[in-house]
Amino acid sequence: MPRYKMVNGERIQFTAAEETARDAEEATWESGAFDRAMADLRQRRNALLAATDFNALSDVTMSADMTTYRQNLRDLTNGLSTVADINAVVYPTKPE
Amino acid sequence: MSIIKLNNRAVKDATAVGSITGLGNLVFISRSTASSSSSVSITSGIDSTYKEYIFMFNNIHPATDGTHFDFQATTNGSDFNIATTTTTFEAYNHETSGVTALTYDPNKDHAQDTGYINLIDNIGSDNDQSFSGFLHLFEPSSSVFVKHFLFTGQRITSNDYSANDRTAGYFNTTSAITGLSFKFESGNIDAGTIDMYGVK
Repeated sequence: MPRYKMVNGERIQFTAAEETARDAEEATWESGAFDRAMADLRQRRNALLAATDFNALSDVTMSADMTTYRQNLRDLTNGLSTVADINAVVYPTKPE
Repeated sequence: MSIIKLNNRAVKDATAVGSITGLGNLVFISRSTASSSSSVSITSGIDSTYKEYIFMFNNIHPATDGTHFDFQATTNGSDFNIATTTTTFEAYNHETSGVTALTYDPNKDHAQDTGYINLIDNIGSDNDQSFSGFLHLFEPSSSVFVKHFLFTGQRITSNDYSANDRTAGYFNTTSAITGLSFKFESGNIDAGTIDMYGVK
């Protein structure tokens, strides 16, 4: 199916060169799907870890529930091999 | 002459307030409507008429789930490849899980990148998902300064987060910017409008 671009409100069909360039972009996007999903998961996981980092200060005693929670966050990326695996990840519940 | 009397902070008996001029206004220039479009380019109407241009993105809907929305600029009307440096951060909140954060990820920044620049990423493609936002481009015709821009966008992600993204940077050129091009990293812009305004 041919592709089209909008230029100043006018719908224009891609040239052959533009189709080839876009095909290459789409292939690059597709090949990076797993890495993007993992990066997204790690970013969210790291934010959750950072939000509880103060529990690891030397003058704070970390509860067993908090220790388990943080370990589960660290283990979140274990065994993931497909984008579907990543999308199915369930974040652990933060203890009170 | 009308009589204006202040009474308990209310203005009473005013029959005329005169006119206020010189405050400027927002001038609508054009609307681009995407319809299964690989890209949307605006190469007309960006010149020295205004010192600031605002682009309003209204419910930009991707054909591909989770794709990123990018843009670039041109100084000659056809080659979109200006060296660009940006930084970005986001705040997000999940619909149900309680996962929430304010984050800065340096991997999303660009430094002197001549490729398309990411404005907002991971946009859901469900029928009710999209992103909206606005982009300010400052003095695109300056022959002295680089061309600064500020973007703010609100999206629903493919995994059901509400995310507010802030991206800012500059096109590192002292040549006049005469056009912008927008596209998703994968798939078409299924639908949505981009309105361009000049700030007078």
